[in-house]
Amino acid sequence: MNSATNIPILEARNVGKSFGKFKALQNVSTSFMPGTLTAIIGPNGAGKSTFFNVLSGAFPPSSGEILFNGKDITGMQQYEFARIGISKSFQITNVFKQLTVHENVRVAAQMEAARYNFLRSTQSYAGPIEVADQLLLRVNLEHLRNKKTGDLAHGQQRALEIAMALACNPSLLLLDEPTAGMSPEETLVMMELIRTLANERTVILVEHKMKLIMGLCKRIIVLHHGEFLAEGTPEEIQNNPEVRRVYLGQG
Amino acid sequence: MTGLTFELLCMQLLTGIALGSIYALLALGLCLIFGMLNVVNFAHGAFFMVGAFLGVYFLGVTGNFWFSLVLTPLLTGCLGLVTERFLVRPLYGRGLDYPLLLTFGLSYVLIELMRITFGIEGLPSITPDGLKGTVNVGIGYFPKYRLFLIAATALIVLGIWFLIQKTRYGLIIKAGAVDQEIVKVLGVDIAKVWLLVFGLGCAIAGLSGILASPTRSVNPEMGVPILAESFVVTVVGGMGSPVGAVVAGLLVGIVYSMTSLFYPDLAELSIFVLMAVVLLIRPQGLFGKAGAMG
Amino acid sequence: MNSFFQLITQHRVLASTLFLAVFPFIMPYEALAVNILIFGLFAMGFNLLFGYMGLLSFGHAAFLGIGSYLTGISIVHYELGWGTAIIVGVIGAAVGGLIMGFLAIRTRGIYFSMVTLALGQIVYYIFYKAESLTGGENGLRGVRVDSFNIFGIPVDFLNPLIKYYIILFFVVIAMWLISRILNSPLGAVMEAIRENEKRAAACGFDVAKTKLLVFILSAAICGLAGSLRALHLSIVPIDSLNYLQSGQAVMMSILGGMGTFFGPFVGAAVMLYLEDVVTTFTKYWMAVIGLIFMFFVLFFPKGIWGTILSKLQIHQDSK
Repeated sequence: MNSATNIPILEARNVGKSFGKFKALQNVSTSFMPGTLTAIIGPNGAGKSTFFNVLSGAFPPSSGEILFNGKDITGMQQYEFARIGISKSFQITNVFKQLTVHENVRVAAQMEAARYNFLRSTQSYAGPIEVADQLLLRVNLEHLRNKKTGDLAHGQQRALEIAMALACNPSLLLLDEPTAGMSPEETLVMMELIRTLANERTVILVEHKMKLIMGLCKRIIVLHHGEFLAEGTPEEIQNNPEVRRVYLGQG
Repeated sequence: MTGLTFELLCMQLLTGIALGSIYALLALGLCLIFGMLNVVNFAHGAFFMVGAFLGVYFLGVTGNFWFSLVLTPLLTGCLGLVTERFLVRPLYGRGLDYPLLLTFGLSYVLIELMRITFGIEGLPSITPDGLKGTVNVGIGYFPKYRLFLIAATALIVLGIWFLIQKTRYGLIIKAGAVDQEIVKVLGVDIAKVWLLVFGLGCAIAGLSGILASPTRSVNPEMGVPILAESFVVTVVGGMGSPVGAVVAGLLVGIVYSMTSLFYPDLAELSIFVLMAVVLLIRPQGLFGKAGAMG
Repeated sequence: MNSFFQLITQHRVLASTLFLAVFPFIMPYEALAVNILIFGLFAMGFNLLFGYMGLLSFGHAAFLGIGSYLTGISIVHYELGWGTAIIVGVIGAAVGGLIMGFLAIRTRGIYFSMVTLALGQIVYYIFYKAESLTGGENGLRGVRVDSFNIFGIPVDFLNPLIKYYIILFFVVIAMWLISRILNSPLGAVMEAIRENEKRAAACGFDVAKTKLLVFILSAAICGLAGSLRALHLSIVPIDSLNYLQSGQAVMMSILGGMGTFFGPFVGAAVMLYLEDVVTTFTKYWMAVIGLIFMFFVLFFPKGIWGTILSKLQIHQDSK
């Protein structure tokens, strides 16, 4: 948590992203305060994924700036994001398939320790091993630690994603549809996990399961056609005429 | 470098274009296979070699160049069909390297097959009767066959362009190269498309072989450096770009030709240096998309 | 049986060393054993990049060749001692790896294979043309190792068995180094990148830098194999630089089992032994190995050792 709590932990200024002629994002400006849990929603094609990818460093914006704790990080490479404390989970599960569950998290935790050291054995680095142990307990995968991730159920893989995102101890966590493809029971467990995470760090969430977001987040941002549409508390968003129009017929 | 005249330079340029035409055709075939199937055909040089052998053989047996010119790519194309259907297709979904590895192994077998069939010395190359000799192109006398080569390649490239841009089949190929799922959803049998595109690519390789045969020695190893040279063209032009393949092919041929005029020893090296330079300043190639590759 | 495999996996360098110590006595003649040793090392260096990192390079013959030629040139033209010559060869190969890696890593996936093949050909042509140093088409001749002493005991390098054990000494050092790399955090990052580059980057790993580092290490090991080869053959054939030689490393890795420690050596042994046997019956070895290779790619992609390992795994998991 930052001491200067007046500065937003993340800020997007006039962010635009085009793919060739297609404008996925236009002039999106918003900021996120430290310690908050914010959801980004919008109908299909609103640009949520693109905005998420820009914020999390998958690719740079075509225009505009991204600031992290007041510092301009626009155009920074993907791997640097984790190093400054921004971590993410992917919408489509992206884990290391041939490695075991424990190895997945341990590698993710290695970022803090020496990354290029090739003379010491991994077993002698206690740090990442302990971090992995703790995280596996937290997401309830401890009993599966030696299983290859390819053998896990979908919900378990999603939980592993979260554990890996947490491994570098980020101050800002970005989650892209964390409950995608989950059963109702699994979704409840995930939501609870996110709630506890939000108590320790800043969390930004892309979701489209409305009922969950309404109960979980205090702040919601709505995108539409790549542009910023509205923001507010769940009640404000629900009563916003623009939002209702855009979501007519949806959840 | 006595006698270095404008005419000499132009003639050398023309020679470069003739050489480049072969490169362009080869790279185009590679590009089709890669664009559609995401497979780098490491047997491309071998198919070129087979085409050269078949071409010379049929020309020797029938005396009819045009007949050989049509039959050879048909045969190499069929060989390509068989390869895709039974050797490459089982590997889809396994990982991008596997089809590549398989075609590499296939090239070994094809080289040996030609050795067994035609001997390790190869065959003496034959220039077809009507195209022997030279022609006055204004600035000097240029080999008739090489003019034919340039014209024939231009026609073939145009034909392929027409196929891709203007026909329904071409539309499917283009769409499939971009998104295979969509094409499947539209009810197209994607497996058949892959089969035909691979066959087409191998047919083009064989065609380049027979077209090139009068200009070089026809032996079982001739495809080995050709593969490396096609890769140079592909890198320079940009992976997956047909326009890049043609333009880079001509460019590489010209670079080779001009270098051999001034520094004959460095001609082979020069085209690889060209590739290294392109990699350094524009890794996606001249016509490639930034970020896709580099 | 299981515990045997577990034992040798845990103490892989020791197990390999013991096996290789007696290896020349199971082979029909020592020169074959030396060849297998050298190409086993070549394949191991290659496998570091291919099996563990997932980067299929078709240009690794360049490093074998650089190692061979620089060692040979050091001895023939500059009259350096063989120990220094080996060091020159390895460093030269590492530098080559730095340059080739830097250029090639800017590309992705299958493109990488094409680019490395073509870059390898540059090295081939350079050494081909530098006739005064390399002997051009005829290769470099006269790479002699003068008699030397170890702790005062004279060593006859020309004795095939003694030559084998001296080369084995270097191979064991290299194997130990590879084993340490694989066991280290770097090794874990390598496998992570192989499995999922995007995720590795998101976790904070500089993928490009890691690839380059491993490329250089891989090149250095292949360079060592080349240096040893020059000393073994006393000549350096120009064909060692052709991409078909690179292809040989690929074949050995697939045959033996990529991404495993023993796999490349198994692949080298099988391939070279087979070649020795088959060429007594037919001169069409290229067709034979081509067919075998295609067969493995289609039906046994894990290779001989890899398939054995996975069968044991299944047996173990089902207990």
